[in-house]
Amino acid sequence: MTREEILDELKKVIAPYTTNKEALADINEQTDLIKDLKINSANLVDIIIDAEAKYEIEIDYDSADKMMNVGTCIDVISEKLNLQK
Amino acid sequence: MISTGNDIVCMSATDIPRTKQSKFYSRILSPSEQALCNQAANTFIPFEYYVWLLWSIKESAFKYLQRINPLLVFSPTKFVVIRLDIPAGFLMETFSGTSITQTGFDSAAVEGVIICAGHELSSRSMVYQDVMVSVVNNNEDFDNICWGIKLIDDINPETQSVEVRSFAMGAIRQHCDGKPIAISKNPDGIPLLSFDEGKTVLPISLSHHGAFVGFSFHLC
Repeated sequence: MTREEILDELKKVIAPYTTNKEALADINEQTDLIKDLKINSANLVDIIIDAEAKYEIEIDYDSADKMMNVGTCIDVISEKLNLQK
Repeated sequence: MISTGNDIVCMSATDIPRTKQSKFYSRILSPSEQALCNQAANTFIPFEYYVWLLWSIKESAFKYLQRINPLLVFSPTKFVVIRLDIPAGFLMETFSGTSITQTGFDSAAVEGVIICAGHELSSRSMVYQDVMVSVVNNNEDFDNICWGIKLIDDINPETQSVEVRSFAMGAIRQHCDGKPIAISKNPDGIPLLSFDEGKTVLPISLSHHGAFVGFSFHLC
């Protein structure tokens, strides 16, 4: 998957956890999940588990710690997808 | 350094079936905390409450330590609760009224100790059926810590942010002799209480989740 394709799917993963739909529509790799999308930190674990299911990958704890903005989420997902090749 | 950290969990905003799944709670609880639950806590509180109670202690500790180390990463399983004392005869009640503002904690509080990144912090938590709140400190003395929680009508994040500041300011004014005060943020985005147009600053911790907002700060 390209980064753009991962981003398109990631929007769907994130959508249930943000009420800021305008910010979601405009997300880019610098978008911070908590500061920009107003996602409660308590939902970050949900996003990691949903991402694992969506992309059929396993995200280890150290990698999960990095998933604070859209760019780092894509980095981690891309890395885990590449490991499956 | 004086710091403070608080966190709130609104239980209706959590996914309880998911909370009970190991793939979820194992990302929050360390192996020793899972054992701690089996030893004692689950005789007093349901497992899903245990998970979110520890989450709130960990998040509070993170807020406390982030003020000391702004580069600290919140990795829940690396914040480890090593002691949790639930009061004898503990009965989880429903949160009544619309708000609580209090200095210190009474005997109904759950007491804890948490370690992370070489620090050991104490915690106090109030656990209700619908909400729980935790506050951490670097010692066992919470008598000089003011904290509060409030039930709000609108759970929009912008409203939560306005409500929590308004609620905290109301409590602060009761302790500050009419001095001009404001809540601002430092360059790392961490909230501060600013007195006399910034001549004096003190840490304040703000939290919101679902239908609840809360704060904690040290009294001057």
